[in-house]
Amino acid sequence: MLEGNAATAIDKRLINRVAGGERDAIAELYDRHGARVYALAHRILGNGPDAEDVVQEVFSQAWRTANSYQPDRGAVVAWLLVIARTRALDRVRARKPSEQGLDEADPLALVSKSAAPADELIAREQAERVRAAVMQLPADQRRALELAYFDGLSQTEIAAKLQAPLGTVKTRIRTALATLRRSFHA
Amino acid sequence: MSSERHDRIAELLEEFALGQLGPEQQAEVDAHLRDCAACAQALCEINEALALLAESAPAIQPPASLRARVLASVANERQEHAREHTTRTDSRRHHWPWLATAAALLLSIGLAFSLYRSESERQALSQDVQRATAEATNLRERLLRFSNQTDLALAILTAADMRQLPLAGREDAAATAARAYWSPTRGLLVVADRLPTPPPGRVYQVWVIERGQPVSAGLLGDQAEGRGMLVAPPPRQGGGTAVTVAVTDEPPGGLVAPSGTIRLAGSI
Repeated sequence: MLEGNAATAIDKRLINRVAGGERDAIAELYDRHGARVYALAHRILGNGPDAEDVVQEVFSQAWRTANSYQPDRGAVVAWLLVIARTRALDRVRARKPSEQGLDEADPLALVSKSAAPADELIAREQAERVRAAVMQLPADQRRALELAYFDGLSQTEIAAKLQAPLGTVKTRIRTALATLRRSFHA
Repeated sequence: MSSERHDRIAELLEEFALGQLGPEQQAEVDAHLRDCAACAQALCEINEALALLAESAPAIQPPASLRARVLASVANERQEHAREHTTRTDSRRHHWPWLATAAALLLSIGLAFSLYRSESERQALSQDVQRATAEATNLRERLLRFSNQTDLALAILTAADMRQLPLAGREDAAATAARAYWSPTRGLLVVADRLPTPPPGRVYQVWVIERGQPVSAGLLGDQAEGRGMLVAPPPRQGGGTAVTVAVTDEPPGGLVAPSGTIRLAGSI
C-alpha cells in the first residue's frame, strides 16, 4: 500500500526536487529514510558515532549528486542504501586492525526517543516482515548473502570462509536474492 | 552487442550490485547496462532485494540531533553539475578510448573557457534545464497515475457490489462535503470538497475499518485546492458487510495504523 509504488513515486518526486536545488526536499528525504540508512550503517560499523558520520555523508552525497540518480537501476531508497553500504564498508576497511570488530552499541540509541512512536511502529513492522523473509532462506544461502552484503566480503573470501566452491557461493547468493525478492512480493 | 557478452555480463550483475568486481569489470558492466534494458531491469531487481536485506538490520533509531547535523552539512554544500548520461551509446566508442580521452580533454577546455566567460549564465541555464526536466518527469507520472485512477474509479462506480457512504465532517472539517464509494471487490473511491488545509506537516490518510481493524487505503490527494480524492484497490480481502471509512491527519507518507484526529467518517 504505502510502501511499494506509492512510496516509490513520492521518492522520485522528492529526488527531482533535490536535483532542482530544493533543500526542503532533502529534509523530507531524511525524514523518510534517515532511520533506514542509520540502521544499515550501524549494522555494518557496529557503533553509533561512525554510523552518524556515514548518514551525514550519504545525505550530503545525495544532495550533491541527485542528478546522477538513475531510476532504471532501482528505487531512491535502494540508491541511498547503496551509498550508505559503500561508505560504511570503506570505513570498516580503513580501520586499523586493532579496531576491527569494534562494537560499542550505544545503549542510549536503543531507547532513543527521537522518532515518533508511530514511525517506529512502521519501521518495526516493515523490518519484521523482512526479517521473517530473510530467516526463511536456507541457512547456507543466508550466511553467504550476509557475508557479502553486511561484511563486504568478495565471493572468493566467502568461499574460503565457508569452505565451499566459488560457483556454489555464487549460486547461493543469486538464489537467495531471487527468493527474498519473490517472497516479499508474493 | 553480442549475446555472448550479454550472457557473461548477466552472470556478473549480483557481484556488480555488491561492489565485488574489480574496476575494469565494474566499468564494463556499467557500460553494458546503458545498452541493455534487460540487464538494467535485472539489476534493478537485485538492488531491490538488497534494499530489503538492508532492512533486516536491527532497527536502531538515530539520535534526534542527527537530522539538524545532516541538514546543516547540506546547507553548506553546492550541488554538482548534472552528469551527462549517454544511453544506448554506440559500442564502437569502447574501441577508441583515446578518442574519448581527447574528446573529454577538449570538452574540459571548452567547459573551462565557457565557465570563465559566463559562469552565471551557465548556472542559470543549468538550473532551468533541471527544473524543466523535473517538471516533465512529474507531469508524466501524474498523467499515468490519473489514467490508472480513472480506470479504477469507473470499475468501482459500475461494480455490482458498490455501495455509497456519506462521510460526515468532524472538527474543522464540519463543513466538508464528502462521499465514499465502496466495492469490496473493486476498491474505494473517496471524494471531498471544501476540505480544510491539513495542519502543518500533516497529510490526510484514508482508512477502511472492518471488524474493528483499520487498514490504510492511501493518502487523500490535492488538498491544497480544498478538494481531495482517493481511488484505491480494496486494501484487504474483506467479506464482512459492515464497513467504516474514515479520514485522519497523519505525518507525510502516512502510517500503518491511524494516530491522528478523525476529520471525516461514515459507516454502512
